[in-house]
Amino acid sequence: MFGPQSKMDIAFEWQAQFHILRPSIHARRANIIVKFQDLYGFTVEGNVDDVNVLNEVREKVRQQGRVWWALEASKGANWYLQPQISISQGIGLKSSLKLSGFVNAITLKKLIRKGIPPVLRPKVWFSLSGAAKKKSTVPESYYNDLLKAVEGMDTPATRQIDHDLPRTFPGHPWLDTPEGHAALRRVLVGYSFRDSDVGYCQGLNYVAALLLLVMKTEEDAFWMLAVLLENVLVNDCYTTNLSGCHVEQRVFKDLLAKKCPRIAAHLEALEFDVSLVATEWFLCLFSKSLPSETTLRVWDVLFYEGAKVLFHVALAIFKMKEHELLLTHQVGDIINILQRTTHHLFDPDELLTVAFDKIGFMTTNTISKQRKKQETEVMKELDLRLRRLNSIRTDEK
Amino acid sequence: MGTGKTSLVLRFVKGQFFHHQEATIGAAFFTQILSVSEATVKFDIWDTAGQERYHSLAPMYYRGAAAAIVVYDISTMDTFARAKKWVQELQKQGEEDAVMTLNFQFILRNPKLVMALVGNKSDLDSKREVQVEEGEEFAQENGMLFMETSAKTAENVNELFYEIAKKLATASPPNPSGVTLNHEETQERRGKLFCCIG
Repeated sequence: MFGPQSKMDIAFEWQAQFHILRPSIHARRANIIVKFQDLYGFTVEGNVDDVNVLNEVREKVRQQGRVWWALEASKGANWYLQPQISISQGIGLKSSLKLSGFVNAITLKKLIRKGIPPVLRPKVWFSLSGAAKKKSTVPESYYNDLLKAVEGMDTPATRQIDHDLPRTFPGHPWLDTPEGHAALRRVLVGYSFRDSDVGYCQGLNYVAALLLLVMKTEEDAFWMLAVLLENVLVNDCYTTNLSGCHVEQRVFKDLLAKKCPRIAAHLEALEFDVSLVATEWFLCLFSKSLPSETTLRVWDVLFYEGAKVLFHVALAIFKMKEHELLLTHQVGDIINILQRTTHHLFDPDELLTVAFDKIGFMTTNTISKQRKKQETEVMKELDLRLRRLNSIRTDEK
Repeated sequence: MGTGKTSLVLRFVKGQFFHHQEATIGAAFFTQILSVSEATVKFDIWDTAGQERYHSLAPMYYRGAAAAIVVYDISTMDTFARAKKWVQELQKQGEEDAVMTLNFQFILRNPKLVMALVGNKSDLDSKREVQVEEGEEFAQENGMLFMETSAKTAENVNELFYEIAKKLATASPPNPSGVTLNHEETQERRGKLFCCIG
């Protein structure tokens, strides 16, 4: 575990953020690609425009910080911790909720969509996601006991985790160190024993790594992972046959057809299955595709509004490139456009504005109904597949 | 799961090798063009995730593919066992797809998936658990190409894709058809293959 004075804290101190190599005039003229470290220590390659965008984003983050501080000053330090405001309820309008609570909820939803200042993120995420509540239901020593209990264990999950540690954001100045590997290992191994149905699924390594960078303490990262898998996302996204993930992909296809019919029709004509790209987005919660601050802005909203946010964002990525996508003739071109777009989305507001203003309203209720519908189909298909695989095994004998 | 599928593709497509290649989630997509004497072949390669549970996503990638590369790691016997399972599944899948969809065009165009069995990490000869003969024999029994490669040293990597390209160019008509490069349980990559007679 790393304490408050650890290397990590120093490296990722909010104020010391954005070690951008300011491009010289020559670089500007030549429009060369520059390498720089972003807020969370990831090396990013971009052109001068990208650097400028990042500078603007940094300024916006500062402004947002001032808005949050002003609210704390006027409403009290923990004004957003209304018990009624939880992720499952959204702005839970209970009759008992006082007007001030209602106003706070509306304010909070808007505020969160504009971004939680990185320095407040650990605290706000921990409370609003339900992680704090989850943690409070078990003894104080739960995490340490869990770690002690799993020490020296050797399971398929631990072997896969060990294999993946150096392959999780390789080259990152903290994650890719013995200290970073050890912390990530404890979180993942600990969780694999907490929920043996999930155990360890590749993809969670990226999610947990980013949680570690944000939360700063390993135990809080662990609880964020727990609340994410147990409450925020749909069930069985990461269990043995990824059935939840299959369901989400099908729902996403339906939503794309509804919200972006022209794109959906075009892609279908090219026999391009959107799951080919979206599976990774959903399993890694965009952490492998979007720049880190943009990913975390998506997570800000995810932890407050729930799993439907992933649909909003995924739809937005397609929507933003509608014109270009409609001109494609080959699968490779579609993938290139989507990859280039996601990798260069340095301005989170650009993405989130499309995600929430242009995609339009989707109720959790409607999405739940669609999930129910798809669940049956997915189960049927997975079952058929399993039987076929079993028949291979029988043939062998 | 670390048999080196992504490394193999990256070596072929970009000539690069990284000691710690990021774990693939879902699948990654690459393209590369190869000229063989018969034709110019454009590979669209789906490089799939290795962990066993990702298996359930595999059909999405190998559907309609024309070639498959199944990869195992010569220093881990377990990966060879899983590679064998993959080969059986792919063979079965090929038949069933054709039957289930009654897609006669598919049968005509793609009577048989071109499959290659690849023992990767040949640079780890001192840690070898799977003998060359074992791989060879299984490949032969199943009518597959066979090669031992090293993404690290680049040994046989280009040769592998060249052989596949040659087989595709002669086996399938010059119109676009799918190619699935399938790797072991872990990696199956499928790509569409576009052949153009140059």
